[in-house]
Amino acid sequence: MVDLFEKIPFLKKIVKLRAFQFAVIFPNFFLFYLFLIAALVGTPVGNRNIMIVFVWIFWWVMLIAFMVPFASRIWCTVCPLPIIGEWLQRRTLVKVREGSTIPGFKQEFFGLNKQWPKRWRNIWLQNIGFLLLACFSAHLVTRPIFSVFVLGGMIVLSTILALIYRFRAFCMYICPVSGFLGLYAMTSKLALRRKDKAVCDVHKGRECFLGSERSYPCSWFQNICTMDRNNYCGLCMECVKSCPDNNVGLFWRPFCSDVDIKGIDEAWKSFIMLCLAFVYSVNLLGPWGVLKDWANFTETGQWPGFILLALGIILLCMVIFPATYYLFIKWSKALSRSKNVTTKDLFIKYSYAFVPLGLLVWIAFSVPLIMINGSYIIAVISDPLGWGWNIFGTTHFPWKPLLPEWVPYIQIPLLLMGLFYSIKSLYKIGMKIFSEKEATVRSLIPMAILLSLITIVFLRLYVG
Amino acid sequence: MKRRKLLVALSIFIILQGVIFGLLGRGKAPGPKMRVIHIKARKYSYDPPIIRVNRGDEITLTLESEDVTHGFYIEGYDIDAKVRPETPHFWLRHPSKGDDYETVEEIRFVADKNGKFRYRCSITCGTFHPFMQGELVVEPNYAYPVSIGLVLGLAIACVVYFKSKKD
Ligand code: SF4
Ligand code: SF4
Ligand SMILES: [Cu+2]
Repeated sequence: MVDLFEKIPFLKKIVKLRAFQFAVIFPNFFLFYLFLIAALVGTPVGNRNIMIVFVWIFWWVMLIAFMVPFASRIWCTVCPLPIIGEWLQRRTLVKVREGSTIPGFKQEFFGLNKQWPKRWRNIWLQNIGFLLLACFSAHLVTRPIFSVFVLGGMIVLSTILALIYRFRAFCMYICPVSGFLGLYAMTSKLALRRKDKAVCDVHKGRECFLGSERSYPCSWFQNICTMDRNNYCGLCMECVKSCPDNNVGLFWRPFCSDVDIKGIDEAWKSFIMLCLAFVYSVNLLGPWGVLKDWANFTETGQWPGFILLALGIILLCMVIFPATYYLFIKWSKALSRSKNVTTKDLFIKYSYAFVPLGLLVWIAFSVPLIMINGSYIIAVISDPLGWGWNIFGTTHFPWKPLLPEWVPYIQIPLLLMGLFYSIKSLYKIGMKIFSEKEATVRSLIPMAILLSLITIVFLRLYVG
Repeated sequence: MKRRKLLVALSIFIILQGVIFGLLGRGKAPGPKMRVIHIKARKYSYDPPIIRVNRGDEITLTLESEDVTHGFYIEGYDIDAKVRPETPHFWLRHPSKGDDYETVEEIRFVADKNGKFRYRCSITCGTFHPFMQGELVVEPNYAYPVSIGLVLGLAIACVVYFKSKKD
């Protein structure tokens, strides 16, 4: 593990600047609003509108294939969606307003600053919201106006919630992107952590959590002194500014270093994500017209088909896959012959199996998106609205797939890598649970079988 | 040292699984055949959605569109066609040889590359256009059985490796 702040002191200097977050968000914020306008006034043809092309090809591929595995939730550092709410809460863009709005915190906050209801302090709302949205994803990725509704809706909702609840309740509990960013960020090479436990133990100021006169509290309700996973750290870098002891480091570590799934909500997130990768691979990247007609119901009018499809998706994610996994877990537990763990606990802990594999399946899914349709990006930057402009002279850049026949041969190693990391991580988790090699390895066998089967299903779709 | 040897052995095992599955999954190769296939394009799919042929087959494709102008681009085969509704002929070009189309009544080519190749719409035809695709599978599609072998090999190798690991 390398501390990038130590390696590159300049980096630390930058993130410690009060203006850091504003400086990285603002350009993004500006661009994002341009995209929203483009989607509203520009052509409704998705692959000619910058909103669709940039968000669903460029952004998505960058996010899933580069940002998440190599930079954790760095997207949340620069995300323009909830920032209006945060600006309103703080009533400042950069500097800290001191005050005493919330007991214990030394800053002034605007809004009601209520606490988020206890029973929703998990990611179930995200799971459900995301799943429902996913049923409409065929519209989301092909209709600019639909993207405006969803992304615009997120801005409005995050702003309203910011005025009612304290800090980033939206990001923590609602944002549909957040759940899978958090889950897959566990695999990431990058992690922000406290450096030395001893330093935290003797320091009682808790500025990292509460903020100080030169920094805001952690908007993500995290306590960097004890934080041991990437899941809910939005990398806002506020705690780096807060810590008077310089005890926060930005670490470059091996893949899949966080392996603890902590709740049934997170377990379900891993199921949902893996199943959705399957659904989209069949529906969007598959050859079957009927399914496409169903997904595209507003154009084809095939409502009954759509309802069937949506129910199928929900059933698969919420019941069929989890039930199958449960059977394998029972088998796994039986083979382990251990009384160290309940079936439920094992069910939760071993659901990490679908994290590395799930991420790599998503990356494999995204390979053709960029290789086949990447050339749209070149065309669309010259004509963002599809109005026939030619700003950079590339409007007529033809649709040119980049080595499309190579796609399966890139997907195969990606899937193998996912399988490898999943089994490897399970061993690590198993050793923690059973604290004994023999039981761990035996419990691993059913999981290795299940993971292999899943990988083969994706191979069938991509290669077979 | 022992660890090293085990890793080498397991790697060989994984590759061997790939080879064995590749050989088993190859099937028997019948002699080359002539195949005439008619493809109907509509928003947003092709019928047939999947075409399976054997390597060496001589393929003759005819295209028809049921609604609007569609494209027909076959990955890896340097073929890109354009078809209009209610038109018996269509237009063909070879992207590597220039952008101009010639009018044709059929596309002829020899399936001389194994594997799975998508055929896709290359002319924006509506909302779902980017997802309009079908599959041309030229058997033996080695990549599939080989990769299954690699998956099983890898899974077994991982378990064996952990089993022999010292606590
Ligand atoms: S959680 Fe969602 S809204 Fe919040 S910063 Fe991340 S992506 Fe943006
Ligand atoms: S832990 Fe630090 S970097 Fe992460 S969200 Fe909280 S304040 Fe920001
Ligand atoms: Cu088309």
